[in-house]
Amino acid sequence: MTDATAHNAPAAAPARPKSLLTQDARTKRRNAAEKRFRTYGAVAICLAIAALVMLLTSVLGNGASSFFQTYAKIEVTLDPEVLDPKGNRDPAEMSKITTIGYGNLMKQAFPASLQAAGVSTEGVPEKEIGDMLSKEAPAQLRNRVLNNPDLLGETISFWALANGRIDGYLKDRVTMTSAERDGNVSPEQLQLADRMMEADLLEKRFNWDFITFPDASELRPEAAGLGVAIIGSAYMMLIVLFLALPIGVAASIYLEEFAPQNRLTDLIEVNISNLAAVPSIVFGILGLAVFINYAGLPASAPIVGGLVLTLMTLPTIIISTRAALKAVPPSIRDAALGVGASKMQSVFHHVLPLAMPGILTGTILGLAQALGETAPLLLIGMVAFVRDYPSWPVDGLFEPASALPVQVYNFTTRGDPAFVERASGAIIVLLVFLLCMNLLAIYLRRKFERRW
Amino acid sequence: MYDTKRVESIVGQDDIKISARKVQVYYGDKHAIKDVDVDILDKTVTAFIGPSGCGKSTFLRCINRMNDTIPIARIEGQIKLDGEDIYDKRVDPVQLRARVGMVFQKPNPFPKSIYDNVAYGARIHGLARNKAELDEIIEKSLRGAALWNEVKDRLNEPGTGLSGGQQQRLCIARAVATSPEVLLMDEPCSALDPIATGQVEELIDQLRQEFSVVIVTHSMQQAARVSQKTAFFHLGNLVEYGDTDDIFTKPRDTRTEAYISGRIG
Amino acid sequence: MSIGLLLLIVVGLGVIGYILGRRRALASVAGDPRKLHSLPSQYGQSVFLFTVVPALLLLIVWLLAAPSVIDGQVRGTVTTDGVSQSEIDLKMADVGRISDGLGALMAANDMSEDDLTALTPGDSDLRGQLAAVGVAVGADVEPAVFEAAKHKRSLTNSAGLIRTVLILLVALAGLAYAMTRIRPDFRARNVSEAVVKALLLGSSLIAILTTVGIVLSLIFETMHFFRLYPAKDFFLSLTWNPQFRGGSDLGVWPLIWGTLYVSFIALLVAVPIGLLAAIYLAEYATKRVRSVAKPLIEILAGIPTIVYGLFALITVGPMLRDYFAQPLGLGNSSSSVMTAGLVMGIMLIPFVSSLSDDIINSVPQSMRDGSYGLGATKSESIKQVILPAALPGVVGAVLLAASRAIGETMIVVLGAGAAAKLSMNPFEAMTTVTVKIVSQLTGDTEFASPETLVAFALGLTLFVFTLGLNVLALYIVRKYREQYE
Repeated sequence: MTDATAHNAPAAAPARPKSLLTQDARTKRRNAAEKRFRTYGAVAICLAIAALVMLLTSVLGNGASSFFQTYAKIEVTLDPEVLDPKGNRDPAEMSKITTIGYGNLMKQAFPASLQAAGVSTEGVPEKEIGDMLSKEAPAQLRNRVLNNPDLLGETISFWALANGRIDGYLKDRVTMTSAERDGNVSPEQLQLADRMMEADLLEKRFNWDFITFPDASELRPEAAGLGVAIIGSAYMMLIVLFLALPIGVAASIYLEEFAPQNRLTDLIEVNISNLAAVPSIVFGILGLAVFINYAGLPASAPIVGGLVLTLMTLPTIIISTRAALKAVPPSIRDAALGVGASKMQSVFHHVLPLAMPGILTGTILGLAQALGETAPLLLIGMVAFVRDYPSWPVDGLFEPASALPVQVYNFTTRGDPAFVERASGAIIVLLVFLLCMNLLAIYLRRKFERRW
Repeated sequence: MYDTKRVESIVGQDDIKISARKVQVYYGDKHAIKDVDVDILDKTVTAFIGPSGCGKSTFLRCINRMNDTIPIARIEGQIKLDGEDIYDKRVDPVQLRARVGMVFQKPNPFPKSIYDNVAYGARIHGLARNKAELDEIIEKSLRGAALWNEVKDRLNEPGTGLSGGQQQRLCIARAVATSPEVLLMDEPCSALDPIATGQVEELIDQLRQEFSVVIVTHSMQQAARVSQKTAFFHLGNLVEYGDTDDIFTKPRDTRTEAYISGRIG
Repeated sequence: MSIGLLLLIVVGLGVIGYILGRRRALASVAGDPRKLHSLPSQYGQSVFLFTVVPALLLLIVWLLAAPSVIDGQVRGTVTTDGVSQSEIDLKMADVGRISDGLGALMAANDMSEDDLTALTPGDSDLRGQLAAVGVAVGADVEPAVFEAAKHKRSLTNSAGLIRTVLILLVALAGLAYAMTRIRPDFRARNVSEAVVKALLLGSSLIAILTTVGIVLSLIFETMHFFRLYPAKDFFLSLTWNPQFRGGSDLGVWPLIWGTLYVSFIALLVAVPIGLLAAIYLAEYATKRVRSVAKPLIEILAGIPTIVYGLFALITVGPMLRDYFAQPLGLGNSSSSVMTAGLVMGIMLIPFVSSLSDDIINSVPQSMRDGSYGLGATKSESIKQVILPAALPGVVGAVLLAASRAIGETMIVVLGAGAAAKLSMNPFEAMTTVTVKIVSQLTGDTEFASPETLVAFALGLTLFVFTLGLNVLALYIVRKYREQYE
């Protein structure tokens, strides 16, 4: 310690203000830099939150209107001569009359009921008046009649689905100027729509059909719904729940409670952490190559989607389950072992029940992640256009279906701008489901949160 | 409890570096420091002793406003450095801490080279105009911390690679490099082995010639070895303050006596 | 018999086994459970496990193995000398579709097995009939292929029957065996616990199986692809131009360029914002601000990527086009590298910020104290002490974010466009590896053309890229954690 002498202490510092009460120039500069840096941070937070707000308002703004749909009121006489030529009211016989027959009926009834209500149809040819209704409207009427054959011969007032362009006009998507350039709608039709609204023959009503109807073709966006997609998603979630939860919990119990320290255990752990980061589309390739091509499972079916999503969700569930098991203090295990329980009994009787809330929370979050997943489902054919509702499980799992996020993608690939509204509306439905799942997870965590 | 007049009679007014009056510290609801009055002399080693949780470290952290970084801490009363209240609204704690340096319980070198560790304070306060001046500050600080001979050939190696005692001396060098007027040391030897402790204690004795040193310590022997003045804290109160020799040989307060003889602690 | 029904029967047998086993155990000690080695229910459990587990394992093995066995059999019938491997593959694809189609035909037209056997490719309009049940066959059906298809159908049918019988037999045999072992001194608990432990191990092996499945299917199909298309061109060609009728250019570089360009812009958005946000939350924000801002930012992480994709498509894309690209004369496409990059950047913000937040918080408080004690301001401490100390962790977080960006699909599908280009202009539409995987594999997939199979080579490229990044990132993060533990 020979070098430590007081005389070697540092040279006198450059002039430093003697008073603490005044800031020297350098301190002022440093404080300004401090303030700037702090502002950067605050700006970053604001940018992130602004992005969130923009995202949500964009979706809500575009999609909220899809829950309301325009309907036109028609007085239509259900002529038995046309609809039930044999006159025996047998639904099987009646179902031979296709929508074309009903369509003709409506085409005649619509202008007539306008005139009866005193709405002038001047300037609009009869065919264009008929075009103001959706191509889906005859099917609606047909369903109604087939469900209730007694209506035959009566004159009913019927709220028919309006064409997407007319619906767009009521939602400010279609304007007089855009109609002039549009082959599918004319300004005269829109003026007629104005007159119909004054006469209360045209109105927007809450659109349950959007949630329950199946998808519809490119030409009738007004009839497109999410029914099949919601069922498909629900089936897949069922499969994920029934496969990923038990397998994930079993794997976690093994790794957390029984696994010896060896190569195999390390290999499993490495695999799990890597699978958690494999891009989702790669799981889609796996599903296509193994489940569809190799094992011969049907494409577009919820079973394949469910299996793929299960494999994707497993790492998430395993990671959260292991955390929940780890949080159970060793004293609980010791207590069970101390009264002569086997290791297996101590785990299944004591540790697992205590870890259950954490496991459930993790599972719900895993399900939420799986529910929003799109890319792998595209590869296994869930983009197919499916209009038939799948039947009940187990058979229904093997029938073609769609899925909510895929349905969104499907809508976006179509030309008609009305489908943008549908896509955003579908996202709102998807987000509502996700919100519910997350709230449930938060509730479970709060309710069962344990402090050891 | 002693009164202020006594404090002033112990020390001559001229040499007072820091004077504290009626200092209260609250951590949330807890009243951690109660009504502490103390005067700390220039170029003297002052030891704060007392049982754990007595508030000695808390009080030490008030002197360079380190408690500002704890959101729930609240300080009342007055602490003056060279006659200026350091809790005045106009005071920038950054400027204060350049003049009142601090060394912590556990050696905490930054994950940088030895050179950069020492240069850190000099750089942020702009003490060197060029590389040569900075080199000079580094060398003097390291010599001042009795570390120069051990590290002069490996200034670019990480500071975290040094032994515990060397790390602590590096932290002292780092504090010395900003040319402080007061050096606060919070149990600087508690994480060190006896040999390293000896080296640091020797260093503290030398530092006294340049700065006022305040050291918090658990060890009464250490207080006796390195300090000229000793303050005994108990349950947030400053029980007794005086010459180190007096405190250890003829304590006036029964609590001091009990602590020194090992009955409380 | 369908698999679902078979499963139900096997589990039903297991339940019966449980009841019988429990009863038999009690009977063996004349109703006095104290004389048993284990609890009566544990004897039941052991019978249940012996009934169900071997049968299910056999079922899984069967499901995995049967398709390739049948395929091999059928392949033999269509293989003739002098026919190339790829032609056989094409034929096999036809065989598969026709045999599926026959089943559908039968269901749709109320045909009997005999009607089906009587069908010949010469029959009037077989193609039309198959098309009516949704099976499109390219050319007219070759007799050999048609026979092979019928062969495959009958093999599949009889395999299904054999499977059902075999599995039920195994289940019954397991039940009978377990029943014979029940004696008072039979260590039922130990036995059933050993089986359960094996099942637990089996569950955790699924992770390995998945990886193996991914790697094998990617490698297998990629090799298939390289037999049809030279690997040299895939890796070295600078053009991507698939043609439906052969002669495609399938160079991977335009796709990799697009992927990296989009990811780069995404990171350019996400890293500064995410990092600064994390710093603000960790070092500056009051408790209240933190408790509001942190969950809000994390909401971004819970939003599905399709939502971001739609956001890019209907909001960000048109906005960038109208306010930047067109006024600056840089293009008039609403899907562009910039659109996708920007939106993907938003998606990655919470990813970067929450990882960085953890990492910054794990820098020990003593570092901060040391720096403040020397009179450093907060920002100086952050920039010169905390960030350098946290650097390895932050680098790991950025690498993880990069791997996310490279593997992201929906945002680029909806936001980046489909044109494979090597261009520097960020307002031009470009495409990525993931977009091309989707576009080559959706729709009618014919697993014999290079235009489809290239998707597997792209998938393998993607997998290798992201796996490399992840392994590196996890390694760095783990090293960093060890440093402060």
